Amino acid sequence: MNATPGHAPVKSIIPKWVRNPQEFVGGIALMAIALFALWASSDLQGMRGFSFGAGTAPRMFGFLLLGLGALITVVGVVTEGPHLAKYHWRGPFFVTVAILTFAFTIRPMGMIFAAMASFMIAACGTPETRWVETFIVGVCLTAFCCLLFPYALGLPLQLLPSFMIR
Amino acid sequence: MGDVFTNLGLGFGVVFQFVQWTPAFLGGMSIPIPVNILLCLIGALVGTLVGVLPGIGTIATVAMLLPITFGLPPVGALIMLAGIYYGAQYGGSTTSILVNIPGEAGSVVTALDGFQMAKKGRAGPALAIAAIGSFFAGCVATVLIALLGAPLTKIALAFGPAEYFSLMVLGLIFAVVLAKGSVLKAIAMIVFGLLLSMVGSDIETGASRMAFNIPELADGLGFATLAMGLFGFAEIIRNLDAGGETDRKLVQEKVSGLMPTGKDLKESTPAILRGTMLGSILGILPGGGATIASFAAYTFEKKIAKDPSKFGHGEIRGVAAPESANNAAAQTSFIPLLTLGIPPNAVMALMVGAMTIHGIVPGPQVMQKQPELVWGMIASMWVGNLMLLIINLPMVGIWVRLLRVPYRLMFPAIVIFCCIGIYSVNNAPTDVMIAGAFGLVGYWLIKHDFEPAPLLLGMVLGPLMEENLRRALLISRGDWSVFLTRPLSAVLMAIAAALLVLTVLPALRKKRDEVFVESEN
Repeated sequence: MNATPGHAPVKSIIPKWVRNPQEFVGGIALMAIALFALWASSDLQGMRGFSFGAGTAPRMFGFLLLGLGALITVVGVVTEGPHLAKYHWRGPFFVTVAILTFAFTIRPMGMIFAAMASFMIAACGTPETRWVETFIVGVCLTAFCCLLFPYALGLPLQLLPSFMIR
Repeated sequence: MGDVFTNLGLGFGVVFQFVQWTPAFLGGMSIPIPVNILLCLIGALVGTLVGVLPGIGTIATVAMLLPITFGLPPVGALIMLAGIYYGAQYGGSTTSILVNIPGEAGSVVTALDGFQMAKKGRAGPALAIAAIGSFFAGCVATVLIALLGAPLTKIALAFGPAEYFSLMVLGLIFAVVLAKGSVLKAIAMIVFGLLLSMVGSDIETGASRMAFNIPELADGLGFATLAMGLFGFAEIIRNLDAGGETDRKLVQEKVSGLMPTGKDLKESTPAILRGTMLGSILGILPGGGATIASFAAYTFEKKIAKDPSKFGHGEIRGVAAPESANNAAAQTSFIPLLTLGIPPNAVMALMVGAMTIHGIVPGPQVMQKQPELVWGMIASMWVGNLMLLIINLPMVGIWVRLLRVPYRLMFPAIVIFCCIGIYSVNNAPTDVMIAGAFGLVGYWLIKHDFEPAPLLLGMVLGPLMEENLRRALLISRGDWSVFLTRPLSAVLMAIAAALLVLTVLPALRKKRDEVFVESEN
């Protein structure tokens, strides 16, 4: 199903003594997130006497996550576990591009364009897409959305590109 | 007792409210329209419609459909959301029975026996029993909510900040214990959620925290945004990985003969009763919810059965018990939310988000100040269940047809709906991008076997916990022992600590894994 046939098992860059790479990498990533959060909240005021500062709670949770991440990493070293799961690039890539396209075009180009464009881009996410069929469904869906959201539900969405309105 | 009837009466009054509609073409004639019932009906229908789509669970469904309630007044919106929630639950069971793709963890066990029944051409009775069991469980749970609502609200009013904080700690510990998978990872996910909830302005000083001068982050990460990213987009990406088409073995036989036989009914009645009881209890517990309830009910049924080997080969009790349990739990988990203002699980956390969007802060105050809202919602739960029973059984054929829509056409449509939904919350393109980013985060979490649901719970409880912790310490003048010297708080903390210790002990861990073992098959 994936676009890369003959997908070899992921070459492991993780040392042999790590017996549960999934947890090991997960734990390290959590530690990285925690460190980032600690750095990002380092400019905030801490405790003043017994009253909390703006930075107290973020730092508390940050240190907690750091500790938990470290624990998970240790568990990843000492227990047996599954190998890293395979990542596929096609699905995540096109879905993300479709989302970004929508975000960048909805304001200047309006919903008709944004919905149609991101529908077609998202459809690239799987090799099973048949273009004619997808195009027809995309047009129908765009029309449906244009009736549903602004009219039936009364949400303030702009349909046409802004240069056509002014 | 009289209280309960007055309250329920008030609730049904709200649900059966008629609005006079005077269209111009009738020349001044007015037609009474039961607006709230219609909203409940639409909610249940749309919820089922989306919930039936394979791979979309309850959380994703509710998150995706949030925007359609924006234009409504709060009461109507909540009633519709409740309808969506039950519809989504029911849709999930339909998918598990017919396609063997459970939309969420809660319906995994339904798939075990339900799909086997469907393969034997008994999809009709399986669906019918699921609906009947759910309806019965819904009735019991509605009464239970009405009974427990008022007294619990009184208790809640006696709670100070220290008690609230301890209760939330207990709730989070419960959530960890009752979740499946690694305890350590679940705790880590909760703390990650708590950390994410810190982004934005500090409530007391107004200082900007971890917002990096991005104006859209000044208000904090949107809850609906995060939920749609983690549960909507991440699910889509994961399904694309798994190959949407290959493992969809839709039952090809025609679904005929809806009615269960007398033997079916006789066999499943006790199972429904037991499932409802177990589900109601597990739903009320903080941290409980539909998932654990259905697993526990199935395991329990199998344990007490005379011939356990029948389970997994199309045993009707294996459908009746978990379906009743998960519906009962889905409903009773509203109790901690409505009375204490604390969401017990991820779906309820999403409900908090939805209520906040409508300007309602759930908790004991709402119960007292806006009784028509709370009781209207409770009454609508019962009406919603009734509607599911009435509409969905005849419509099974339509859902089956919907299941035949190939995933290659379905997923771009879901992407668009999610995008429009997120955008319409604040009319902010940045929100859409943030949701996209969290879609990738969610994909990564799934790949590393982290559960995203505790993260969502932590995200909602974060600000509440911080506020109460701060207040408690301010009142006690910085004395941390306040959590242990106030009796109520001390009891809650002791339970939390005991639970955590028990979970780490190997004996209980084995029991816990036993409950979830069915999902491994």
